[in-house]
Formats: sequence, structure tokens, C-alpha cells
Amino acid sequence: MKTLTHHFILPAVVIVLGFSAIYVLSNYLEKNRVVLPENYDDTDLAFEGRRLKGFALGAEGLLADWYWIKSLQYLGDKFVKSEMESINIEDLRNFNPRLLYPYLDNATDLDPRFMVPYSYGAVVLPAIDPEKAIALAEKGIANNPEQWRLHQHLGYIYWRLKNYEKAAEVYEKGSRITGSGDFMKMMAAAMKIQAGSRETARAMYQQMFDEATDPQTRGNAQFRLMELNSLDERDAIRSALEQSKENSGRCPQSLQEILPLLRSVKLAGGHNFKIDNANNLVDPSGAPYLLDQQICDVKLDPERTKLPQS
Amino acid sequence: MEAIHPFRRILVISKNTFREAVRDRILYNLVVFVLLITASAVVLGELTFGQEARTIVNIGLNAMLLFGAFISIFVGVSLVSKEIEKRTVYAIFSKPVKRSEFVIGKYLGLCLTLLVNVAVMAVGVSLALLYVGGGSMAGSIWGAIFLIFLELTIITAVAILFSSFSSPSLSALLTFLVFIIGHMSASLRDLAAAMGSRFASIIFDGVYYLLPNLSHYSFRTEAANGLTPSGSMIGGAVLYAVAYVAIVLTVSILIFSRRNFK
Repeated sequence: MKTLTHHFILPAVVIVLGFSAIYVLSNYLEKNRVVLPENYDDTDLAFEGRRLKGFALGAEGLLADWYWIKSLQYLGDKFVKSEMESINIEDLRNFNPRLLYPYLDNATDLDPRFMVPYSYGAVVLPAIDPEKAIALAEKGIANNPEQWRLHQHLGYIYWRLKNYEKAAEVYEKGSRITGSGDFMKMMAAAMKIQAGSRETARAMYQQMFDEATDPQTRGNAQFRLMELNSLDERDAIRSALEQSKENSGRCPQSLQEILPLLRSVKLAGGHNFKIDNANNLVDPSGAPYLLDQQICDVKLDPERTKLPQS
Repeated sequence: MEAIHPFRRILVISKNTFREAVRDRILYNLVVFVLLITASAVVLGELTFGQEARTIVNIGLNAMLLFGAFISIFVGVSLVSKEIEKRTVYAIFSKPVKRSEFVIGKYLGLCLTLLVNVAVMAVGVSLALLYVGGGSMAGSIWGAIFLIFLELTIITAVAILFSSFSSPSLSALLTFLVFIIGHMSASLRDLAAAMGSRFASIIFDGVYYLLPNLSHYSFRTEAANGLTPSGSMIGGAVLYAVAYVAIVLTVSILIFSRRNFK
């Protein structure tokens, strides 16, 4: 009996009590954790990637991955902490993500062939600091002259900045790289003729959506395509409203009245109008379009749509 | 009685060293490695936004080197000292076994252990890559893995050298320092040249040629980008490893031969 107590019960009691103490202490320590100042997340980075290179025991790639993950978490945390329902992806300066560029810069200094930070930077940085966006894309091109997609990223940045001449020049250069395909030539021409058109934007975002490897870039391109589709849909709805008004001499009571007219409309990009279960005409984000009968015009539902109010 | 060929004696010692390593549960580190890679494969998709294949290569190959380096250092420094401590060395040298055969046999036995270790880890990384859809990398990483193995063979030789004249703990520390400096020697040399200091240049040139330049074996970051080492790089790395190991083992044998076990 004494042996049983010594060999089994006593150690079991110690283990159970030990874990109980650990459970209590863990919660206590968690509650009494030192609260870091609000701007702690924005403290300047301790290391510069270019200085670490050669002194990381060959694990530069692993460190680059770490900085890449940090850059995603950094911006994600900013969005979560802001508790904003919708984010204006055209302008992210309100979030003050000042360390995003250093994170991406460090990742690409440590591993200059790491492509995703360049494409992520091209999509996100123009909304924070366009000069830094250009600097990152140009660095990518300098490090990887054989990668035509980096020219595509840089061209996209210039296009967003409405610097169509420069964008055309970049697309032109990229189109000369082996394997770049027709898209770069097409964009180079489009920048010269119809840079600000919806067709050019659609081609740009469709290409981005088809080729993106990271969900952020893909999601952004999908959102932009939805926005373009909605603009096309609203144009078609306006025409139908005009036609209906001409035929009946009054503005329709609801958008459902013009559904027969819309059935024959062919929208750009081959997409169709969406109708929900309640027979409402809905925008690409799934929110019903609203009819403003006073001016007989269609508009987005500001309460429910995820699309920008343009 | 027919004399046994020296190669056969070396082979017997290596086999025994490998068996001893297995008995000492050295290969248990593989369990930790497999858990690490499995966890990486499951978790990284969320964390890296679609870059899981690349990150698995980075984590896998760096962990492979780290685990291998620990085995090379800690098992390497105890290879000889354990035999002395247990006094089994006296029994061995009472037989017609030369000290050089003993050192080389021990070295090759540990290299075999490392080879098995690295090969199993490499299969683990390749399977994880197949799981996350990085099939093309599952094949392309093997060149970088071979370079890791070559690096470990150099570290093992260095560990044996230090253990031939020093205590196990000091030998482990010195080998670890060689591992660190060996990775930085090329960068330190460039830094000294950039500083423009003649004295620093001489010192770091000396370090560069005296210590193993392990940056020749670092192809992990490149492998994570889907690149493969060229034939000339692998060939050069093999020759460098053979030359360096030959020098270090020769010095080890010289020192070990002068020790008195009578």
C-alpha cells in the first residue's frame, strides 16, 4: 500500500496540483501583462534587411518569410483595431501603416527573388505612399530583370496614379521581355489610346485576378471587377429607366418593372444581372439596387452594399 | 591467421558507430521534425497568404541544418571522448586497429547517421510540399539538401578535431563557433575590404581560408524560390568538402596518435 502511494498517488497529486497552479498562474499573468503603448506596433524596425544579409547563417529566406508574415499581420491588425465596417482601399493613410514598406523592403532585401511582396506592395502601397510603391516595384525590376510581371506591377501603379505616359513606357518595356505575352503589348497600346476607360481597367483587373497567387491581390482585383460590373449595370439600368419613362410617360414604381427590358442587355465582360430570391435587382456584392423615383435614377444601397459609392 | 583489410576495419567501426547512434536514440529528433513540418503544412496556408510551399522549404531546410548541426556537434565531440571515458578505447587498441582507422571509422559512422537523418527529413519536407500543392519544389529541393549534408560532414570533422585535444563541452562550443563564423566568413571578408583596413583584411582573409566557408553550402533561400544548384556548384562543393575534411581529419589523427592510451 505504501509502495502504491509512493509510486503512483503522490506523483499524480503533484502533477495535478502543478497543472492546476499553472492554469491559475497563466490567467493571472495574462491579466497582469504590461500594457504596451498604443504606438508600440509602429516602433521602427530594429534591423535593416540589407545589413542582415550575409550574417543570417544562410537563413535569409526564412527571415524574409517572417517579414512577409509580419507585413500581412501588421496591416490586418490595423484594419481589425480600427473597427471600421468598410475600408476605402483607395486611401489607407488613415490607418497610418508606416511600417508596411519597411517590412516589405526587408523581406525583399533578404530574398530579392521573393515575388509576392512586390505584387502585394504594388496593390496596397499606392493607397499609402505611391512613391514607396514605385520604389519597391523598381527595386523588384532591378533585382529580377527577367520577370515581366514586375513591369506589370509598376505599370499598374503608374496607371492608378493616372500617369498614363509613364505606364505606357513601363508596359512597353515589359512587353519586350520573353514570355510576357500579348497582355503587356495590349496594355502598352491601351495606355496610349484609352488609359482611363473602363475596358482598360477591366482588362487590367481581370489579368490581376487570373494571375494573383495571394488572396489579398486576388480579392482586391475581384472587388475592382465587381465595382466595374456595377458601373456597367447602373448604366444599363439608367437606359432602361429612360426607355420605360419614354414609353409610359412616368418613372417606374420599382426596378422590377424594367426587368423585361434588362433581359436583352448584353453587359461587358459577359456577366449578367443578378436577381435575389425576393426578385430584387442586386449589385455584384449582393445588395439590392435602390430606385430614386424623384430623379428617376438607380443608386447603390449605402447601408448594405460593399461597393464604393461612386 | 589472415589479416583484415584496413577498409574492412574502418567499415566495422563505422557500422558500430551508426548502431550506437541509433541505440542512443539520436534519430528521435526526426519525430520533432515531422511534427514541425506537419504543423507548418497545416498552419502556414493561413499565415502566409498562399506562400506555404516556399515557407515549408525555408522552415524544413533550415530545421534540417539546425538539427543536423546539433547532432554533428554534440555526437561528434563525444565520439572519441566517450570511448576514452568508458575505457573501451583500450580494448579497441589492443586489437590490430590503427588510430587513423578508428578516427575515420567513427567519422564515417556519424556521417552515415546524418545521411539517414537528412534523407528521412528530406522525404518529410517533400511529402509536406506535395500536401500543400508545391509538387515542383518537392523535387527541386534535393540539390540544396545534398549541400546541407555536405556541410554537416564538414562540421562533424571539425567536432572530431576539437574533441581530439579538448573536453567535450569546450569542443562543442568551439565547433559551434566555427559553424557560426563559417557562415559569415565571406561576408566578414567583404566587410573588412569595404572598411579599407589592411589589418582587418589580413585577419578576415585568414579566417576565410582557415575556417570552412560554409556559405558555399547555403542554397536554402534559393531553393525556396524553386532554383536548383548548378552541376559546377555541387561539384565544387563536393571537392571543397573532401579537401577540408581530409585536412581536418589528418590533423585529428595526428593529435590523436600522440595521446597515450597504454
